[in-house]
Amino acid sequence: MTDRTENMLLVGPGLLLLALAFLLPIFQMLSLSVTGPSGLTLLNFVNFLGDPFYLGVLWRTIRLSLLITVICALIGFPLAYIISKVGSTMRLWLIAILILPLMTSVVVRTFGWMVLLSRSGLIPQVLQGLGLAHRGFALIQTETAIVIGMVQVLLPFMTLSVLGVIARIDPVLEEAARTMGCSFLQTVRTVVLPLSLPGIIAGSLLAFTLSASSFVTPNLLGGARIQVLATSIYNSVTQTLDWPFASAQAVILFAGIILTLIPYVRLMGDGRG
Amino acid sequence: MVKAVPLPLRILARVFVAVTVLGLLAPLIVVVAASVSENQYISFPPQGFSLIWYRKVLSSDDYMSAAALSFGLALAVTVAATLIGGAAAIAIHRRKLPYPQLIGAVFISPLMLPTIIYAIGMLMLWSSMFGVVTVFTLWISHTIIATPYVVRTTLAVLSDSDPFLEEAARTMGANRLQRLMLVVVPQCLPGLAAGAFFAFNLSFDEAVLSLFLRKPDLTTLPVEIYSKLEFSPDPSVAAVSSIMIALTVVLIIVIDRVVGIKKFAST
Repeated sequence: MTDRTENMLLVGPGLLLLALAFLLPIFQMLSLSVTGPSGLTLLNFVNFLGDPFYLGVLWRTIRLSLLITVICALIGFPLAYIISKVGSTMRLWLIAILILPLMTSVVVRTFGWMVLLSRSGLIPQVLQGLGLAHRGFALIQTETAIVIGMVQVLLPFMTLSVLGVIARIDPVLEEAARTMGCSFLQTVRTVVLPLSLPGIIAGSLLAFTLSASSFVTPNLLGGARIQVLATSIYNSVTQTLDWPFASAQAVILFAGIILTLIPYVRLMGDGRG
Repeated sequence: MVKAVPLPLRILARVFVAVTVLGLLAPLIVVVAASVSENQYISFPPQGFSLIWYRKVLSSDDYMSAAALSFGLALAVTVAATLIGGAAAIAIHRRKLPYPQLIGAVFISPLMLPTIIYAIGMLMLWSSMFGVVTVFTLWISHTIIATPYVVRTTLAVLSDSDPFLEEAARTMGANRLQRLMLVVVPQCLPGLAAGAFFAFNLSFDEAVLSLFLRKPDLTTLPVEIYSKLEFSPDPSVAAVSSIMIALTVVLIIVIDRVVGIKKFAST
């Protein structure tokens, strides 16, 4: 037996499983999306893209995902920077606090937000108490609720992704900038931020992909009225039982994610160079 | 060392961290608090203190059978993903495979593809080939999405390991199986262990695949909670959720003890 044979034996079972139970299902889904009652058709796509309701769903998905990604980046970058600067005990605690929600079931976390945001929940009550909201004000079943719930779900991904890069920045660079007369904020803006861009990009890609494709949180916090693409796919699968249409929506979701990500990567790539 | 972050900024940073931590933990705190309420409906802040909802969970057939299914499934997924992912990581690390980059990418690809897209594909393929979905379907599909985690944690550990140990064993006359089982696998153990815990956690908490592949007699714990949330949740849902949170805390502590969390926090 050669080394190569031994290694092929080691990866073999995994490759076989992935081919049969991962690549094949995706292929099946792709082929079903162009299947109609009488053979090959693009009707499923035409039905989606020609319907103002579904175009609205698509637009809401893109808009909310971008908003969620930007908010995650705005909170995640300073948070990661602070975590990289605090003492090691504090850092361990903060990382544990990031990992706890990350490893808790999304169903459980969303449940917590349902309680907090509902009509009798703490947050609307506090807002009413402060005179910032009228009586009967609720956040549940609004886009705001989806954004709040998704940011909490995705912030750990973003922060850990930025932290992985920030932790490797040589502290001498910051000190050099300070000695050369930069203020603290100038140093962060001109040294730390550009150097952590790869982490912010990676985190943003992850946050955008996950927020565009998640359906548990939007379904529970947004309700049936506010649909995003993923909840609409779920409805097509479980309620209207139109699987070819569900497949077409999944293809559109995937294409949409890729189309949105390409210019984003380009843009950030230019900013770095 | 240049010191001095301006004082207002230091204060701002503390406030910022405190608010963010609160926001991250708030939903979990609320769930735990609501689970010990005396009320018949879910409320926060909770009214009184009682453990009746935990008793109700333990005596509920729905919850207990869902918990048993989730637990057994997660164990089976852990075993499969650790064996498959660990073996693959060892081979990938040796860099003696044809198309090494491609093979590495294929093993990580389930992480890149949104789970909902995979879930649809799996549902459709399985239905057209075998008809009705079984626990076997869940086992395979959970294993697919858990394996990349094992591959990553094992590769992370291997990249820090001594590459000459295996070579030394070879020179000393150890055969292939001995080198693999007595030298390489022990080196991988922390990575395999971490990967196994992640795989267990992933499968136990997984909702998307389980929702798409659900049937009345195939309800995992997250799916059971989800269906309760869609209709009329009472505090027993909070009690079950709190138990899941407690399990997550235990897992994180175990992972930290076995391998150290920081090592995998940023891989």
